[in-house]
Amino acid sequence: MNPLSKVSPRAVLASAALFVVAACATPGNEPGQIADPLEPVNRYIFAANLAVDTTVIEPVATLYRDFVPDPARDSVRNFLRNLESPVILANDVLQHDLDAAGVTTKRFFINTTLGVLGLFDPATDMGLPRRDEDFGQTLGTYGVGPGIYLVLPILGPSSLRDAAGNVVDYYFDPLNYYADNTDRGHLTVLRAGIRGIDARARTIETLDEIERTSIDFYATIRSLYHQRRQSDIRNGSAPSLPKLDLTGDTEEDRTASLED
Amino acid sequence: MMRLRPFLLALVLAAAFSINAVAQQAQADTEKFIASLGDRALQVLVVDSQSEAEREDAFRGLLSEGFDLRLISRYALGRYWRRATKEQRAEYAKLFEDFIVETYVARLSEYSGETLKVVGSRPDDQDTIVHSEIVRDGRPPIRVDWRVRNGDEQLKIIDVVVEGVSMLLTQRDEFASVIQSAGGNVEGLLARLREKSGDGE
Repeated sequence: MNPLSKVSPRAVLASAALFVVAACATPGNEPGQIADPLEPVNRYIFAANLAVDTTVIEPVATLYRDFVPDPARDSVRNFLRNLESPVILANDVLQHDLDAAGVTTKRFFINTTLGVLGLFDPATDMGLPRRDEDFGQTLGTYGVGPGIYLVLPILGPSSLRDAAGNVVDYYFDPLNYYADNTDRGHLTVLRAGIRGIDARARTIETLDEIERTSIDFYATIRSLYHQRRQSDIRNGSAPSLPKLDLTGDTEEDRTASLED
Repeated sequence: MMRLRPFLLALVLAAAFSINAVAQQAQADTEKFIASLGDRALQVLVVDSQSEAEREDAFRGLLSEGFDLRLISRYALGRYWRRATKEQRAEYAKLFEDFIVETYVARLSEYSGETLKVVGSRPDDQDTIVHSEIVRDGRPPIRVDWRVRNGDEQLKIIDVVVEGVSMLLTQRDEFASVIQSAGGNVEGLLARLREKSGDGE
């Protein structure tokens, strides 16, 4: 049984709306930074997640990467991504982006047929690249800020807006209804698990490097998460830099060189 | 008066065209600057050929040539720059250079030996943003944007944005967090940077 199966979609939407109101009302502590009033709790969960990652997730991801050949792993990912098409389509439409909705629809039909049930991704080669959308991003395009930063157990970095978005996306996915109605809730969990291991297997070196070079790994991940989400909402384009206020500087400050 | 008008109009038009032409020329120059520097950076980072220390040294050369380290270090310290004493600023500047070399080498090493393709540029406030892609075989290209400032007749990079994530903003957020957990004292950041530069040697 899935714990969410007892909750009606309407109740979820209502609570999502509440989240949104809360998110709008939460001020950020610095311009461009995500508010983190739960930082002590978040840091605790972050440390626990790291421990689980080091002992279980990363070793499994490494085995998966080392023993399953690249093309097979790509096919696993293509297949899972193709299944996400209805969720992406719903969000394309909610963002009033009909061009993107067209691309998502064409991709689904091409990859399901020519791509053998989604195992391959010929659509990308035909000039129809995938663009990920979710309800958190949709809210972002409506002008809803992230609210506060959250670190979820196992799932990792998120925000009030994006966590609420995940719940809504759950109800956009026809496969979840199928799994619920036929008492196959374990399929949903299995799917999320494989997706997580696959994603982790692709970031082993990157994350190790970031951890090695940071002086505050938690703050770095928080910043990366926030920037990535902002960028996804803008669908690309470089962020603007905060203004550098030079008014209080002396002439010496302005010309001081690094070599002094 | 009436006769002056067409003349003035012509003057304004001529000025507008030449300003436009100058701006376009400047943008083209900036694109060229990134194309050459970015390519060299990716070649310098080729993993197999050198030791890590050698790679870092080569990259350090490129960094001081192509980046405005002074401005970057100021941005990264954000509003805490004001609170730092003269001595703290001087030490910070030195430690920051080591820190930024290590982070850039680590984060850009993934793309070593790939080719950089400049795809366009646009003006942004006082900077030019140059859009580029790191082209990889059989995988989707990686989007890299370079923020270039034209100060004192010289082009200098002040930020590298990989897939929408700015190196500068990440460092600023990280530094702010370290300083905040040290009770708002810049010394807390300096201590961490000293430690970091210590285990790098």
